[in-house]
Amino acid sequence: MPRRTEPLLAPLKLLAPALVPSWNFFDVIAPAPRVEYALLASPGDTSGTWRVFRPRPARVSLPEMLQRLVWNPRWNQNLFVMSCAERLAEDRTPEHSEAELFKRIAADLAAEPADPARPWLCFRLVFVHREGEVLTEEVMVQPAPRRLAEIDIR
Amino acid sequence: MSLELARRLVEILLALALIQQSLEHLRGFRDERILFGARIVLAVLVLAGVAGPWPLVGLAGLSLLILHRFQGPYNGGSDRMGLLILWCLTLSSLAPTPILAELAFGYLGAQLTLSYFISGWVKVVNPDWRSGRALRDVFQFSAYPVAESLRGFAQRPGLLRAMSWGVMGFELAFPLTLLWPPALMVGLVVAGTFHLANACLFGLNRFFWTWLSAYPAILWLQGRVF
Repeated sequence: MPRRTEPLLAPLKLLAPALVPSWNFFDVIAPAPRVEYALLASPGDTSGTWRVFRPRPARVSLPEMLQRLVWNPRWNQNLFVMSCAERLAEDRTPEHSEAELFKRIAADLAAEPADPARPWLCFRLVFVHREGEVLTEEVMVQPAPRRLAEIDIR
Repeated sequence: MSLELARRLVEILLALALIQQSLEHLRGFRDERILFGARIVLAVLVLAGVAGPWPLVGLAGLSLLILHRFQGPYNGGSDRMGLLILWCLTLSSLAPTPILAELAFGYLGAQLTLSYFISGWVKVVNPDWRSGRALRDVFQFSAYPVAESLRGFAQRPGLLRAMSWGVMGFELAFPLTLLWPPALMVGLVVAGTFHLANACLFGLNRFFWTWLSAYPAILWLQGRVF
């Protein structure tokens, strides 16, 4: 395929699965990704504390569930983060997915007081799956840390 | 129901669904605000029935930019259904002959039917779904339950087996509802309730509005074919 036509065809390739859908929703329950992040003093620092990115709440009331029918941006962003995690683990669009994950974690951190002693951000993807009756966790991806201040969150 | 009426109903419902989704993106990053701000403007034009079919064409073109921005759909299956609806509507509106217009719109109704039937089929051939184990996994460790308290459902295997068979039975039987208009109405009410439950338990609100917006297509197809 000539290189000049690739940028034109790329969105059409993304559109094709929508026009000829597979509809295989939940055919198998795949390992579930969880995004964890840590702030580090340096790229090689191992003393950072891993925190779950956007842990789910203990409870959500029925009125809140119904309200989310019309306003649910945070959860829908969580679903996109999950898609990025799956794509990254499967090595599909890895650069894009990695950048999206850094960007969204950094945007949340911007709302917290900065820690000048820990200017580096890293994340890892922990996949939870069942083996027999036991749930197991496996770290599948941990990209190189990035300097928090250099991540564009505009 | 005439083709024109069915198409207009789908246009209105889809425009409302797209506006709802797009408003959520306005609190996102700058590039998202630009893309989804433009989508709101075009969806409002569709809703108002102004300058048709060009706002639909604009939305279809914009959908390619949005796919490029996220390197795929933002929210998986619900966004893919939204794209299918949008492109079927657009192609039906631009079709040079009435039969091509019907084919493009009928394809949407057929895919809606398949969306339930194939989803049921891929589950029923999986022993984990037949035993209720798969649904237990969804509640126990998947990323979907909106609250930790919902994980407690994983401790109720009997209920989950019954729910699994209820979902699979409904999805597999859905095409039969096309044979009788009252059955189709009941089928769509059950389907809507199913999407509502998924929206509440798993936060999949986009599925609810997107699938609902395609329902006039299947009502039209039923009257056209049977």
